[in-house]
Amino acid sequence: MSNQQRFSYRRTFLLIFVFLVLISISFIVAIVLARKLTRKYVENEFQARKTEVLESNIASYNEFFQNRIPEITYYQGYLDSVGVAGYAESIFKRFPFVERLVFYDVEISGQYASHGVMANNLALSPKSVFQFGPQVNKDSIRLYRRGQNRNFSLLMADEFNKMALKFAGFLEEVDTSKTINNDDLFKIFYSITPGKITYMNIPRREDIKIYKQLMFTSQPDTSTYEQDILTYYINPNALSINNTRPELYQKVEIRPLVYESLDTNPDLLTAETPLPGALADYKIYFSSDRTFLWTEINRRFMPVAATVIVIYIFLLLIAYLIYRNLNINRRMFKLQYDFVNNLTHEFKTPVSVIKIAGNNIKSAKQLSDRERSHYGRILDEEADKLNNLLNTLLSFTQIENKAIKIKAERIDLHEFCRKIVDAYLLKYPDFDLKYNIDHDIKGFQTDPVLLGSVFQNLIDNAYKYSGPENKYLRIEILLQKKLIVFKFADKGIGIAKKELDNIFKKFYRIQSQYNQQGSVGLGLAFCKELVNFLNGEISVESVVGKGSIFTIALPFDNKKNVMP
Amino acid sequence: MRVRLARIMLVVALFGVFAACKRGENQGQIPLEDFFKSPEKEAFRLSPDGLHISYLADYKHYKNIYVMDVATGNSKRITSETDRGVGEHFWADNEEIIFMKEWKSDDTVRLYAINRDIPAVRNLLPPAVMRMRWVGPARVWNDELLVSLNLRDSSVFDVYRLHIKDCRMDMIARNPGNIAEWYTDMAGKLRLAVASDGETETLLYRETELSPFKPILSNNFKTAIQPIGFSGDHANRLFAISNAGRDKMALVSIDLKQGKEIASIFKSNDADIASAGYSNISGHVLNVVYDTWRPEHHFIDKRMGKIYADLRQQLKGYEIEIAETDTAQNRFIIYTYTDSNPGSAYYYDAPEKKLLKLADNNPALKGKQLSHMKPVRYTNRSGIKINGYLTLPKNSSGHRVPVVVIPHNGPWKRDTWGFNTEVQFLANRGYGVFQVNYQGSTGYGKHFWTAGFKEWGGKIQQDITDGVHWLIKEGVADPDRIGIYGAGFGGFCALYGACFNSDLYACAASYSGVTNLFTFMKEIPPYYKPYQRMYFEMVGSPTADADYFRSISPVFHADKIKKPLFIAQGGKDNRSNVNETNQFVKEIKKKGTPISYMIKEDEGHFFRKEQHRLEFYRKLESFFNANLKK
Repeated sequence: MSNQQRFSYRRTFLLIFVFLVLISISFIVAIVLARKLTRKYVENEFQARKTEVLESNIASYNEFFQNRIPEITYYQGYLDSVGVAGYAESIFKRFPFVERLVFYDVEISGQYASHGVMANNLALSPKSVFQFGPQVNKDSIRLYRRGQNRNFSLLMADEFNKMALKFAGFLEEVDTSKTINNDDLFKIFYSITPGKITYMNIPRREDIKIYKQLMFTSQPDTSTYEQDILTYYINPNALSINNTRPELYQKVEIRPLVYESLDTNPDLLTAETPLPGALADYKIYFSSDRTFLWTEINRRFMPVAATVIVIYIFLLLIAYLIYRNLNINRRMFKLQYDFVNNLTHEFKTPVSVIKIAGNNIKSAKQLSDRERSHYGRILDEEADKLNNLLNTLLSFTQIENKAIKIKAERIDLHEFCRKIVDAYLLKYPDFDLKYNIDHDIKGFQTDPVLLGSVFQNLIDNAYKYSGPENKYLRIEILLQKKLIVFKFADKGIGIAKKELDNIFKKFYRIQSQYNQQGSVGLGLAFCKELVNFLNGEISVESVVGKGSIFTIALPFDNKKNVMP
Repeated sequence: MRVRLARIMLVVALFGVFAACKRGENQGQIPLEDFFKSPEKEAFRLSPDGLHISYLADYKHYKNIYVMDVATGNSKRITSETDRGVGEHFWADNEEIIFMKEWKSDDTVRLYAINRDIPAVRNLLPPAVMRMRWVGPARVWNDELLVSLNLRDSSVFDVYRLHIKDCRMDMIARNPGNIAEWYTDMAGKLRLAVASDGETETLLYRETELSPFKPILSNNFKTAIQPIGFSGDHANRLFAISNAGRDKMALVSIDLKQGKEIASIFKSNDADIASAGYSNISGHVLNVVYDTWRPEHHFIDKRMGKIYADLRQQLKGYEIEIAETDTAQNRFIIYTYTDSNPGSAYYYDAPEKKLLKLADNNPALKGKQLSHMKPVRYTNRSGIKINGYLTLPKNSSGHRVPVVVIPHNGPWKRDTWGFNTEVQFLANRGYGVFQVNYQGSTGYGKHFWTAGFKEWGGKIQQDITDGVHWLIKEGVADPDRIGIYGAGFGGFCALYGACFNSDLYACAASYSGVTNLFTFMKEIPPYYKPYQRMYFEMVGSPTADADYFRSISPVFHADKIKKPLFIAQGGKDNRSNVNETNQFVKEIKKKGTPISYMIKEDEGHFFRKEQHRLEFYRKLESFFNANLKK
């Protein structure tokens, strides 16, 4: 029997050990892998997020380019220096990367013009040229005015000429019966070179028709038409750079397109993305040291690691619970085995006494009156013992299964205690058993049978586990707030501290000289079940060799119980 | 099983109820196509002897000329044009009809003559890229017809005398460049011209075609002298509608030799004289028409007055317009209408008092329940009385209804009482329609008109806003369900409302609306140069008033638009730049404001193709349904 037990115990332990080793290995592998993947992910992010940063940084450039430049067309060529001054101011205020603005007030006519571009009969000539900018000196706002300035420097004329020639070329080819598509508009009316955007207001279809007519037919018509050309000088360095991903990029800078870092640190990660349109000879340059990224890697790794740890702990917990259940089951098995053993003993003694008595009666030729009453008493007593034993077992099972019901009635505690104590004193004349009831308590609503069982068990135990000269028990009944408390104080052998937790368990018996025979270890467990069944609690304090105090607390309803 | 069956039956029953409700709601809704159907027969013309009636009707999807014999009532088609339809036509004499085909840009003018019995078409003009204007009245004298053509110079119109039999053409007046209109006397001689340098209008007169034109009267463009016709009794007298020296237009006679107004024949204290009926046979003014809340007729010619009274008797409740008359002034073509009835065309024989219906203007709407147009009047913030019209949906309570405000185009025009398809369509869809003759509208005198000068975004918009507030105060309009919609200048009002009165309007719809005043001013073409200064005074100058233009042009204020917007626009619209509208729409879209944009690349200022017009109104209907019926 014990061999088998040891064998099964060992096998469980081995299984659990293997399980623990396996999950620990999995845990370590998971942590290492997660860490590696996170690092890879963050380094990929470093490359992938640059467009996002780029977009947020050139949002203002895009707004300027998409909304504020085409706004010039709204003025339909009617802009003058005053109008542009106001417009320019709002541009400089909002878009600091626009450094300077040159405005060509252009006249289109069919007459010869000394300065400007002639295409067949069509003349595009600047009436005046102005420049605006935060750095532009007040005296140098006007660069040119027809009739006043002789010189129209080539440098100044460059943008104008480019635009005028492009426009003339467009007029030559354009089919005025069709609407011009957006691609063409962009090609003709925008000229974008690094650092410069030149834009001419887009004329109406009708105007284009007229211009084309002017170009190809010589007319006496002296009408003039107005177009506006604006050149915006862009300084990409003035683009305010905002690092929207500070966790990824240590440094975000605007650098010339040809820039390469000379830093030889192998742990320096870099990325770059060219700027669009007029900013095109510059790029955004991103750099981060690997150690800088560790913070971000760790930040992202933490939740992953935490999850893995939680899963690991959870698995450990389950292993522990399985182990504990196995253990309990093993002990249960042992207890039941002991129980059967005890019970056999318990039944054996009365049965063998009955058998002896029966044999004696059978073999005796004649029974004297004294013998007959002696055997009768023995048979009666042993039968009672067996009956008690069976009753206890039966009611215990019933209570455990909640198969009985509380039959509550009002009892007089004095009467109740006196009966029990009298019965015991009759049975054990050497028992120093007394009770004391708080005089506030008159009656108590409870099931007298169940309470009686509890008393019996505790009194029996007190008697049983006391030395022959110390058969002593004091029962105190008192009120504590809404509880009625029963204290059973004896001077018995006491209970060791480590045993205290177990004494209320089923089939548990303290190994001692006092219970060599006639105990199944059900008494206290039965008491506990009863008390719990009555919604109360049972507890014990004990000092080995000095005695124990069992305390039972039951709910006490003042209204029901105190008032007679 | 039984439970399930019962449930299904309940669902079916409920569905039946909903369907019934839906049907109830739609009851009385007239299909969109019915409103905007073009008439089957139109442009009725009476032959000089009054025995034949010509008209235009479809043949293979193009307008062609049909001639009806009044005596028999039989009609026959005489033209078979299938490349483009007939635009205008009139009787040269009792036999021949002159007609012009629909004109397209960069194309020659196609002017033809055709005999009513022999289907042979004669081309009257040599092929050349040019435009033609009639020299009024369009009439043939001794086989001769006067037309003005920009043949010599695309920017000026000279007058030619066209001999319709041999197609010979003589220039009889060379336009120095500033002549805007020409007039003939009763014998068909070109003796009167109106010159304009934009700010000043000058009346030029000559006694015979051989003598040179001499200026006789000059005035600022704010003063108008509209020639009606030469007097039949005095060779040097002219009938005209004039507001020279008075606030409201009156019928006057002018001595052309002295260049002086000699008599005021008729005037109204309430309104400008809008038009005058003139007989170029007798040389008499027959009647004048002026619009108070509805058209008023005053007859100067006693006989015509009597004929009109007879007609009134026969066509009770109808508004009557005399459109055509024969030479003897016995037979007429008349048109009728009311505010809720598109009306019909009739032939009327005055001596016989016989009325013959020629056609219904829109047979699809015949017998349909349409809404009445009620005149309303309110006081604006400066205490000026403003007139308008309110059309409520049929069977409406008139209490807290959803309202569509339609400011008229122009702005130098006015809304008048009569049948308005657009208004009826919206009223039929359950909207109250509010029309306002804001300051700057014509018809209420010079002062009222000029009060709207340079008041775009100013007094004009204030008057509209005040009108809407008045309508809310009267309890008619539901303040949460007011939309604004308009075409041209009306579209500008809608966009302006969306930009600057977004609390007042739940949504705005612009049909070819003016989005940018700079572009609008650019529209004055080179040969209208004289008008530029006038426009500067009426609207503003794009250079001197640049800040003002910028502050009111919706295109600069896309960011202020918060309410749903609908924009419809033709790709070839000269009054606005499509690129600019595209940019405007893009900006609004980027701001996240709901906007629907309908662009038809091949259309001009207004949609000409019927399918495009129907599509537009369908979209307009669903736009208002989505935003005003919540």
